Amino acid sequence: MQIIIWSVLIIVNVSLIFLLLKLYLNSERMSKYKNDHQVIIARKIIHFWFVFALYFFLFVLAALFIFPVVWMIMNSFKTHAQINADLSTWRTFLPTNLNIGEWFQSYIKLFSSFQEFGRSIINSIIYSSITISIVLLINSLAGYAIAKFRFPGSTVIVTIIILILIIPVETSIVPLYVILKKMGLLTENLRIVGYLIPGFCSPFYIFMFRAYFLGIPKELEEAAYIDGASRIKTFFSIIIPNSLPVFATVSIFTFMGTWNEYIFAQLMFSNPLQQPLQVYLQLINNFNPKDMGMIMASLTFSTIPIALVYIFSQRYIVEGVAFTGLK
Amino acid sequence: MNQAKIQRANIRFFGKSYNKSEIFAGLLFTLPVLILGVIFIILPIIVSLGYAFTDANLLKLDQVQIVGFSQFSRIFSDPLLLIAFKNTLRFVVTVVPLQLTLSLVLALILNSRIKLNTFFRWAFFIPVMLSLAITSMLWMNLLNEESGLINSILMSLGFDEQTFLSNPDRALNIIIIISAWQGAGYQMLIFLSGLKNIPSSLYEAAEIDGANSFNRFKHVTLPMIKPTFSFVIITMLIGAFRLFTQPLIMTKGGPLDSTMTMSYYIYQQGIMFRDVGYSSAVALIYTIFLAAITLTIRKVLDKDNTV
Repeated sequence: MQIIIWSVLIIVNVSLIFLLLKLYLNSERMSKYKNDHQVIIARKIIHFWFVFALYFFLFVLAALFIFPVVWMIMNSFKTHAQINADLSTWRTFLPTNLNIGEWFQSYIKLFSSFQEFGRSIINSIIYSSITISIVLLINSLAGYAIAKFRFPGSTVIVTIIILILIIPVETSIVPLYVILKKMGLLTENLRIVGYLIPGFCSPFYIFMFRAYFLGIPKELEEAAYIDGASRIKTFFSIIIPNSLPVFATVSIFTFMGTWNEYIFAQLMFSNPLQQPLQVYLQLINNFNPKDMGMIMASLTFSTIPIALVYIFSQRYIVEGVAFTGLK
Repeated sequence: MNQAKIQRANIRFFGKSYNKSEIFAGLLFTLPVLILGVIFIILPIIVSLGYAFTDANLLKLDQVQIVGFSQFSRIFSDPLLLIAFKNTLRFVVTVVPLQLTLSLVLALILNSRIKLNTFFRWAFFIPVMLSLAITSMLWMNLLNEESGLINSILMSLGFDEQTFLSNPDRALNIIIIISAWQGAGYQMLIFLSGLKNIPSSLYEAAEIDGANSFNRFKHVTLPMIKPTFSFVIITMLIGAFRLFTQPLIMTKGGPLDSTMTMSYYIYQQGIMFRDVGYSSAVALIYTIFLAAITLTIRKVLDKDNTV
């Protein structure tokens, strides 16, 4: 460890000296020696050094970014005792079990000692899939209507959406809770409805859909109308197949939103059988006696679905940002 | 005959003519969203506006008394609220520049022809994949003062055992670092996509004109990524003003209220202390404050854009 710190100091200092040297070589006084052999070599050395320093800097920064996650994954393959034994050595970043069969002890223990852990995963999957399907359906319909139809109030809706997007509504969790309470949606059985239903309508996604549908040429729909298709049929059979990218983006955004949602869920669910993953994790995290292997196993396991989504759909995430925020 | 049919289908409304079937379809398509939006987005704003003038209690919502502006006058004599506001402001003015610089520098480096590009991209993006709750729990364990990894590394470097989240001088700074660590990769990705969209012909033209790399950056890169830049800065600011999950999981606002933030305070007053009236008043003022900030920043950045 000390070697790393010393090398950082040395590299930073040498870089500073070389930077001064480079400025000196570029200065007026040196310009007549510009093509001298020594000056050219000095420039090459300086250039090489800066490339080296850049890579060094990138590697150190990358290490700082990934070491907690690497530690989390590696320690999920160990037991609590092994983690403590390895903690103060470099072996803490490596799986130390030679026998691969023993790697998953913490995972097995996790599923057997926290009965509701599997249930909370299923809950998260159910909540996410319900939210995604309804979000896609109702927001795309509304986005389509305000993009393509002229009807009284359509411009008013657009204005209201823009206003809502400007006004941050995050502070409305308390009044939302009060409204759900008044609607009678806080009883044990209806809590799930009360938790899910506020997330269905999203001005952000309506806007996303609208922006995309505006780009679809009118001729496409008119051809369908001439064939005698109704508006709703045209939407489902012509528009949706032609706008899969925006549907993919919205479902990914919704999935990330609902899967990672924590604040509202921890307020709504006290019954472990109803809790989604993010909330249930806290129970494992706070459990006494602490079992670090099990905690890391639960955190790692919960990250897998969302990591898969990121890995396979990075393109859509970037594109989604591009066609909402920048237009 | 076809012409006549279309004309008959038109109706007039407020002096504008509409197609009847379009009205029907438009209203039908927007109906679900309108109902849900009115109940769960607009109504909460109205409700909090209403409760702000009452002494509403979460357990006795039926017996509400109108108290006028007294909840608002409480705001100005509440020392804890001032602390929460200062903490939030400190978080915002530290984390936004930190994260912005980090993500922009990384994006600029990774946009050049550097080796191992994909590896670095994923390395900086990995923390983004963790949810806020998981990030908070992971770092809570890493920063555990007796058995955490960070202290064990520090001790192997010859430092003394340190206090982290239990130290009022450090807790907020730690949350700042963790938030930047978690979020920078996402903004880096957005900047990278913005940089990729700059046509290379612009750089070639600048090179022909004799611009060095610094001038190319100043006169080509910066103006071209300005829309990305304003998008990133606005989302980052709004996100930072909302800071809530990390203190909720890691510190519960403590130690000594050093990580109490505005969102957490509003939540605490309304849900934990059941003082819906006061919580609504604070939320209302804070929402107006945030809206004003967002609008100002949008204006400033847009003005620069057109120049």
